[in-house]
Amino acid sequence: MTDAREIEASLLDFMRREVFAPDLELTVETGLVAAGFDSMSLVRVLLFIETTHGFWIPQGEINAETLRNIRSLAATVLRLKHAP
Amino acid sequence: MNLIELLDNSSGTWPDKPALIEGESAVSYAELSAQTKSLAARLAELSITPGSRIGLNLPNSVAYVALTFALWRTRAVVVPLPTECTEEEVSEITGSLQLDAILGARPQSGSAQIGAGLFLTACHPPVRADNHGLDIAFIRFTSGTTSARKGVVLCHDTVRDRITAANQGLAISADDVVIWCLPMAHHFLVTIALYLSRGATIVLARHVLAEPFLAAIQRWRGTVLYASPFHYGMLARHLAGGGTPTVRLAVSTTCSLNEDIADAFHARFQIPITQALGIIEAGIVCLNLREPRTRWNSVGHPLPGFSVRILSPDDAGCGEVAIRGPGLFDAYAAPWLSREELAPDGWFRTGDIGRVDEDGFLYLLSRKTAVINLAGRKVFPEEIESVLNRHPAVRESRAYGRPHPHLGEVIEADLVLDADAAALDSVRAHCRAQLASYKIPSRLNIVSELPRTAVTGKIRREVIAV
Repeated sequence: MTDAREIEASLLDFMRREVFAPDLELTVETGLVAAGFDSMSLVRVLLFIETTHGFWIPQGEINAETLRNIRSLAATVLRLKHAP
Repeated sequence: MNLIELLDNSSGTWPDKPALIEGESAVSYAELSAQTKSLAARLAELSITPGSRIGLNLPNSVAYVALTFALWRTRAVVVPLPTECTEEEVSEITGSLQLDAILGARPQSGSAQIGAGLFLTACHPPVRADNHGLDIAFIRFTSGTTSARKGVVLCHDTVRDRITAANQGLAISADDVVIWCLPMAHHFLVTIALYLSRGATIVLARHVLAEPFLAAIQRWRGTVLYASPFHYGMLARHLAGGGTPTVRLAVSTTCSLNEDIADAFHARFQIPITQALGIIEAGIVCLNLREPRTRWNSVGHPLPGFSVRILSPDDAGCGEVAIRGPGLFDAYAAPWLSREELAPDGWFRTGDIGRVDEDGFLYLLSRKTAVINLAGRKVFPEEIESVLNRHPAVRESRAYGRPHPHLGEVIEADLVLDADAAALDSVRAHCRAQLASYKIPSRLNIVSELPRTAVTGKIRREVIAV
């Protein structure tokens, strides 16, 4: 079973490679919005989650709490993945 | 005329009214006009002369607006360089449009500082651009349908004409507060410049999430929204935080709306979403003001002065949409091609396939060209393919849009490799270096060959592998 750590690591790897500038020191606790996360970044990340985990995060789940940092986003992915 | 007159007139009529609000700070019309004067003086000191082509590489901000008008005050040509462009893309635009200088937030070697966090870097084009005697205000670089790209050239009078025409539908006045979330590098003339010409207040919203966007509408009593279906979808599904009773007009542009979002937004806010047909070659041509709720999937009727025609309609009445009207583009820049050469009869072929119903409502159905629409950003497959094909492991490639329920389309590419599948990581890294991040295919598929047309041997675009 994929756990939170694995999801965090894959999101961190993806965002380092494809979303943020390479010189940004991104961690799972970096504030995403303050780091420049915009609506096209969001599109890229939602697509990545859909490709890797097989589901689209509903727009009702996309809020400030979910997108606070990679840790909170990974927790949402994990919860939705195991939702009945 | 010069478009700076629009701002100066507003500054004369409404000097103390807020023109722009960014965060908690408001900039009045008089202050904005004064900023453009001091910036223009500084630009002139740095040898920015009439006709100079200047790239503008900044995110949405008061400075972005002030610099655009300051460049117009010096009669320079504004060329937006979207901030998502990679260095390779910026250098390609700089070369093909023969830019004289770039204004941006980062100093380069030899940059001159013109304000807080604003730097001008000369580009020294080998040959100075020929403006063909035109009084050009703006060149918007667009990826063309061939690998050669085009810049859409717009003169001052042209932009004024399209602003006048668009406002016959939008009816923006000094009573309006526009909540803004789209990138100014992609949307400026019949939006920001229009609003400022009519004395409206523009609020620059932080737009990643529904909460701050909704909070900005409520806090500043927004009356007009101009956004993409993706933004409306986020707002519609954000159930907390009350309504938006002050909004009189919510315009959707950049890609077609879907029924889920139209219904959800109306259910949530009791406001219909009004679709528009806006294209860089013509401004806002159609706006569905009459029946935005019942015919939510139509872009409505042509605005006064515009005509729409369906070319070679099939049995169902569908064909390529051609338009005629005020403020049509003046030329393409690279290579130079005048409007008269391209549309000698005054009809511009949009490349969109559409139909007009019995009551005159226009519906857009698809693109004639293979442009991919990713959440409102238009991406040309040829551009992605040319990057993929430069990788040594790629023999040939085909990029295409795959329909996606939430984004319109997503980008995928099929590759014929001269190496084994392990090369894909290196191909992905190559894409990241060469392409703005949203243009990177979300999936790369290895195939043994690409479908081709029998006659020309060209890659067939209509085939989407399943």
